[in-house]
Amino acid sequence: MNVPPSLILVLFLLFCPQALHAADPLLGLPPVPIPADNPQTPEKIALGQRLFEDKRFSADGTVSCATCHDREKAFGDALPVSEGVGKQKGTRNAPTVINAVFYKVQFWDGRRSSLEEQAKDPFVNPVEHGLKSHQPILDVIRGDADYPAAFGAVFGVEPASITIDHVVKAIASFERTVVSGNSPFDRYLYGGEKDAMSEAAIRGLAIFRDKGRCQSCHAIEQTDALFTNNQLHNLGVGFKRIEPRLMEIANSLRSAVTRGETIDEKVLTAPDISELGHYVVTFRPSDIGRFKTSGLRNIAVTGPYMHDGSLKTLEEVVELYNKGGEPNPMLDSGILPLDLTAEEKADLVAFLKALTSPEFAHLQTAK
Amino acid sequence: MFKGICLILLALALSLPSVAARADEFTEADLKKWQEDFMVVVKEGEKLFHSALGSNAVSCDMCHPNGANNHPETYPKFQKQIGKVVALRDMINWCLKNPLKGTEMAADDPKMVAMEAYITWERRGVPLAPGKH
Amino acid sequence: MSSEVSRRIFLQQLGAAAAVTALPLSLVEIAWGAGKGESFTFAYISDPHITQIKGTEFVDNFDKGLAKAVLEVNFMFPQPDFVVFGGDLAQLGKPEELDHGMEMLSKLTLPVRYVIGEHDYYLDLGKYWEEKISKLNYSFDHKGVHFVVLNSILTDDDWTHKRWPTAAERMQQMARLDNPDGSPFMVKEAQRNWLKADLAKIDKKTPIVVMSHSPLYKIYKGWNFWTDDAEEVQALLQPFQQVTVLHGHVHQILYNQIGNITFHAMMSTAWPWPYPHSFAGKPSMVPKLTVPMNRADPFHERDATGWSAIDLASGKVTNRLELWENTPRTVAEDEKTGLPADSQYQDPAKRIPPQDHY
Repeated sequence: MNVPPSLILVLFLLFCPQALHAADPLLGLPPVPIPADNPQTPEKIALGQRLFEDKRFSADGTVSCATCHDREKAFGDALPVSEGVGKQKGTRNAPTVINAVFYKVQFWDGRRSSLEEQAKDPFVNPVEHGLKSHQPILDVIRGDADYPAAFGAVFGVEPASITIDHVVKAIASFERTVVSGNSPFDRYLYGGEKDAMSEAAIRGLAIFRDKGRCQSCHAIEQTDALFTNNQLHNLGVGFKRIEPRLMEIANSLRSAVTRGETIDEKVLTAPDISELGHYVVTFRPSDIGRFKTSGLRNIAVTGPYMHDGSLKTLEEVVELYNKGGEPNPMLDSGILPLDLTAEEKADLVAFLKALTSPEFAHLQTAK
Repeated sequence: MFKGICLILLALALSLPSVAARADEFTEADLKKWQEDFMVVVKEGEKLFHSALGSNAVSCDMCHPNGANNHPETYPKFQKQIGKVVALRDMINWCLKNPLKGTEMAADDPKMVAMEAYITWERRGVPLAPGKH
Repeated sequence: MSSEVSRRIFLQQLGAAAAVTALPLSLVEIAWGAGKGESFTFAYISDPHITQIKGTEFVDNFDKGLAKAVLEVNFMFPQPDFVVFGGDLAQLGKPEELDHGMEMLSKLTLPVRYVIGEHDYYLDLGKYWEEKISKLNYSFDHKGVHFVVLNSILTDDDWTHKRWPTAAERMQQMARLDNPDGSPFMVKEAQRNWLKADLAKIDKKTPIVVMSHSPLYKIYKGWNFWTDDAEEVQALLQPFQQVTVLHGHVHQILYNQIGNITFHAMMSTAWPWPYPHSFAGKPSMVPKLTVPMNRADPFHERDATGWSAIDLASGKVTNRLELWENTPRTVAEDEKTGLPADSQYQDPAKRIPPQDHY
């Protein structure tokens, strides 16, 4: 009998679905959104990666995007708050680039709406890359042996016409390839592998969806899961420090912006203003202390946690939610005490540890 | 003798009331009774719907007067609070546990059936729209 | 983005009525008729329904709603001239609930004007309210605008005095919105006569703002989204050139225009009511103008709740709805049509799916 190989493959996949999923690094993720004005090409992605890792785009030649978004640290930096040029500390924990493409707003406070726009700011922030403007980046690119040809091939531009927009388009294209699914959770829920997660993690999933009230913000859906609702919420972390001086801090932000200082600089250099969260974008009182709902994929390898990196372990994070956040008048109205037992908390942590994608699993075992 | 037995049987058959009718033939009286029985459960559901079923003095009708905005005709549907496609009773239980701070009911708990009866009765006549939000 | 933010801050620093204050003064004077008006802002907090569970234990969610509104009003920049409290401070009219609510409202740093709601009234028929909080109906003038507060939640004497064995039972019955044994709200003749006399002193060009708990028009009798003698009250208001009625009770975004009168509903700080047309098969008169609020997600306990900042310029009301778990909405007069309109969603093509209640 002469069976065509494609039929064998189809039969193999039909009867061995795990094999298909093992081969699908995106299992459990929705399609990656690609903006119409920045289509993906292999050349652009490669250029973006090179730019991402280039330390010359900083005041003292020591900082690249990859400094705080290091692949070997699951595209984070494992620090509570990031360190830029001259080891200066900012105010925020570096969010992982993994699956950042799925966010509808970028930065912890949602002050940028796209990866392209996001990528522009750290270059010119005094405590990150520390440049005064984007011009030095363009100068380095034009004087480089390879970049002019690469930009020409990708964007069809002469060296003199290269702009920061080309640079961030390439970087964003690279970031759109940093996507990971296929965790034990994905294989369990979407791949039909009933033994992909431990019993404790399976119990943890039930708590995640029900008693733990995690589900509504860290969304799991019927056919995929981003673990974020793409919104911003006040959990009260860091709020206590600013609460007595709220009006004064808001006024200092107002006058800083009126003087022409940038929001981006203020939030990373003024710890009090940083705690205002999404308020810096909208100036609505109810946005005070609101920060973006992080996706939870690879959460076990991207600590420390919260916008200020103030929680070291997943156990501490679960404890924060269990007590209903840090009380404050702006606390999100979905955050309530949970009354979880010790076993339920442990199960929840076991579940969170089942969200690690295979390509970062070695970082988890190393811990 | 045989003829006599036949006659007796015939007489018996003619004198029997309709209780000997076929199994699935029911009467107006049955219909009335069943509707009344149903309405007893609807009334029970209405009472539950207007009482504090949880632990915090909050009742269902505070957000759903006359059961409005429950849309029983749309279930099963995806409920983002639960993260999957669920039945109406799953959402009733979610509300019991969350806004009302109470405990969930079993699917066959007479109280649950009564709540479903009241909610669907108040929504009678609306076409089915499964999955609709 | 920084230019967008600076622009927004600039507007906020000037006050939300910046567009009007930027007009040549003469134009403003013409619009005001009397020529003595100025733009100002006041905040509106309504329907917190503070609910006692037992002793000193109250429903936490509703407490938090009122506390949050108070904090945000205090945070307003620039500061409003005063605050209006729109009624239903209590759930069952108990002194414990009114006291607890007043304690929270006392944290407001601004003067407060009070409107009574049926949940505050039907236990003792307004006695405690009048002694401790405010008169039930009164008027005052502020920067060229005449404000009137009505007690619009009165009803038939028989229902009030003869129907129920105890005052607590009467309160319970009135507290149930979908009560088949309920009774429609009224301003009643005595108060209409008072209103007539009050308005007799006022120039017809003076902007009038009436504040009542129930809407002074008819929407759905089954839930008492209704004032039974609304037409008689409206008739007293129609001769004035610029009339706005602000009301609570309905816990939803609702606006309407009847003749000269513009109506705006205020949000509750406690929970949202559905729209009457979502109750199948019962005809209701939800205003065609109204763009519905988004469907609420009960996970966020304060979704579809909030408070309002009211800007008054040339006697015209701009209602800025501060929705805590939602994008804020602004309802203001559309200059072309002269009707209230949602600044973002009035065009049906621009609405978002959560506004499609059915």
